[in-house]
Amino acid sequence: MASISIRNLTKRYGNFTVIPDLNLEIADHEFVVFVGPSGCGKSTLLRIIAGLEPISSGDLYIGDKRVNGVQAAQRDIAMVFQDYALYPHMRVYDNMSFALELRGTPKAEIDARVKRAAALLHIEPYLDRKPKELSGGQRQRVAMGRAIVRNPKAFLFDEPLSNLDAKLRGQVRAEIKALSQELKTTMVFVTHDQIEAMTMADRIVVLQSGAIQQYDTPETVYERPANQFVAGFIGSPAMNFFPVEWRDERAILSHGATAVPLDSATAGRLRQAGNAVLGIRPEHFVVATDAADGIAINVKLVEPLGSDTLIHFDLAGVSAIARVDPSLRPKVGDRLSLRPQPGKTHLFDAANGQVLR
Amino acid sequence: MNDAANTDRWIRWLNTLQLVLAGVLIMAPTVWMVLSSFKPSFEVTAYPPTLIFSPTLDNYVELTKTTPFLSYALNSLIVTVGSTALGLLFGIPAAFAVSWTRISWPAILTLAARMAPGTLFLLPWYVMFRQVGMIGSYTALILSHAVITLPIVIWVLLPSFDGIPRSVFEAAQVDGCSVTRILWRIALPLVASGVAVSAILAFVFSWNYFLFALVLSNGDTKTLIAAAFNFIGEGSTQWGALMAAATLIALPPLVLAALVQRWLVSGLTLGAVKG
Repeated sequence: MASISIRNLTKRYGNFTVIPDLNLEIADHEFVVFVGPSGCGKSTLLRIIAGLEPISSGDLYIGDKRVNGVQAAQRDIAMVFQDYALYPHMRVYDNMSFALELRGTPKAEIDARVKRAAALLHIEPYLDRKPKELSGGQRQRVAMGRAIVRNPKAFLFDEPLSNLDAKLRGQVRAEIKALSQELKTTMVFVTHDQIEAMTMADRIVVLQSGAIQQYDTPETVYERPANQFVAGFIGSPAMNFFPVEWRDERAILSHGATAVPLDSATAGRLRQAGNAVLGIRPEHFVVATDAADGIAINVKLVEPLGSDTLIHFDLAGVSAIARVDPSLRPKVGDRLSLRPQPGKTHLFDAANGQVLR
Repeated sequence: MNDAANTDRWIRWLNTLQLVLAGVLIMAPTVWMVLSSFKPSFEVTAYPPTLIFSPTLDNYVELTKTTPFLSYALNSLIVTVGSTALGLLFGIPAAFAVSWTRISWPAILTLAARMAPGTLFLLPWYVMFRQVGMIGSYTALILSHAVITLPIVIWVLLPSFDGIPRSVFEAAQVDGCSVTRILWRIALPLVASGVAVSAILAFVFSWNYFLFALVLSNGDTKTLIAAAFNFIGEGSTQWGALMAAATLIALPPLVLAALVQRWLVSGLTLGAVKG
C-alpha cells in the first residue's frame, strides 16, 4: 500500500504532447478514478504509473520511491486490463498464482492466497478451467483475482468494465467498490463512463487533452464543477448550457429576449460579468405552477424512464433537456413553464469556460 | 433460379477440373519416380514407357549394396536436425524480438537472405570454411543449412507472436516477468503449434537442400541428396537405383507432411490467440 505522486509529468510521442506538465497526489488507500473522453490521456497516465510507458519528463513516486526508470516488474503494482489479458494457456489457478510464483512465494502460501482470493470473488469452481472456458464476467473476476493475490502497493484498472453487458457492469462495479473497502489499498481506475467515476471514486480526476480539469470528490465535481467542460462531462443527461447576458437588470438568454429567473447570488455574479454561459442540469429544472414564474417551452420529445421523465425542448436556439417527475405526463407540443432551482445554477466565463464564483 | 443453379454447377465443375489438373501436375513426377523405382532397371528409361511391369526390389537391393546408403541417411539426419535446432534456437528469440520491438528490418533482411540464390553464400563459405579447415565437417554443413532454416522459423513464428494480444505481455510484465521470461513462460507456449510447424518446414527444406552439401561435404559427411547425384554419370546413369534413392529421400518429408498436414495449414495461418 502506498501513495502515488506525479510531479510535473510530461508525456510526448515524437513532437506530439499527450500529457503536458501534470501534477497529481493520490493518497494511500484512496480510490481515484481518471475520467475523460477518448484521447484525453487517462489510459496513458495509468500505463505510466504501471511502468508500461516511459516518462518524457517529470517525476513519478510510488510511496517514497522515485520509480521513473523502474521496470513494471519491479514496481509491485497490479493491473486489471480492459481485455483482462489472462494467460490463455494457463488454468485460472495458474493465472492467479503466476506472479507469486515469480516472487518465490512458498507453495503453501500461494495456495492459501489463491484460494482466499477465489473465495472473495466467487470463482472457486473455476480454478481448474482455462480462460476460454469462462464467460466475460468470470474472466473479469479472474483478472481481479490475479491482481489481489499479489497484495500490491496499488491496483490499477484500465476500463475493466467496458466489455461487460450493462447488468453485469453494475454488479461488478459494486463488487469492485466493496473490494476496495475491504482491501484498503490504493486504487486507480480509468473509465470514460462518468457513472462509474461517480459511484466508485473517493476522488475523481477529470482529464481533457492530458490536463487535469478538476480533482475532487464526486459530490464536489458534480455540485461545483470547476469549468464548463467538467460540468458538461459529469452528469447524465449532460448539463444544459445557455448563453446569457445581464440586460435591463435581468438575466436574458442571448439569441432571444427570454428572461431567466435566477437566485440573487447567481444574478449578482452575472451582473458583474455582463455576459456568461448559464449551466442548468436537467434534474435542476422544476415545473412552475405559475406560468409567469418560469420560462415557457414547447415539449419537443418525451422520454419516460420510469423513475422520471426526460423532456426535450428548444430554448433560445439551444436543444435542452429537463428531468421531471414521472407523474407529470406531458405530450409532444404541450406548453410548459420551467424554472431553475434556486442555488443550483452555474455560471461560466463565456471566453474561457471557467466557473464564475 | 435455374441460371443460378447452372452457374453453381459450372463453378463446381471448373473447381474440380482445376484441382485434378493441379494434382496431376504435382503428383505425376512423384508417381513416376515411385513406380520406376520398382521397375527392372532396363525398363525405367524404356520408350514408350511400360505401364504394366513385374515389380521388383532389385533397385533397392542394388542401392544398399553399392552405396553406404544408411550412412548418407545418417549424415542427412545429423545436418537436418542440427540446422533445424540451430534455426529454432536463434529464430524463436529473433521472431519474438522483432514482434516485441516492432522493428521489422531484421526479419526482412533474413527473408532477403533466404530469397537470394544459394550460390551467393556458397563461394564465401567455401573460402571461409576452407581457411579454418572445416570443409567436409558436419559443423560447416549445419551452419550453412541454418541459412535455410532460420528465415523459415522467423517468418512462420512472426505472425504467431504478433497475434498474441499485447496486453497479455504487459500483464506478465506487471506480474513481474522479465522479457526473457515472457518469451519462455508466456509467448512460447502460446505459439507451440507455430514452433512445430516451423520446425517441420525447416526440417523438410534443409533435408531437401542440395547445393551446400554438394560443395561443403566430403565422402564421410555427404548427405543423401548430394550422394544421389553420384548416380548420374556420363553415359552410365543407374536410373533404377537413382529412382529408388529419390523415393527413399522423399519419404521422410512426405511422411512428416502427411502426418501433420492439418496442423501445417492451421499453423501457417495461425496468428490469433483468443482468450
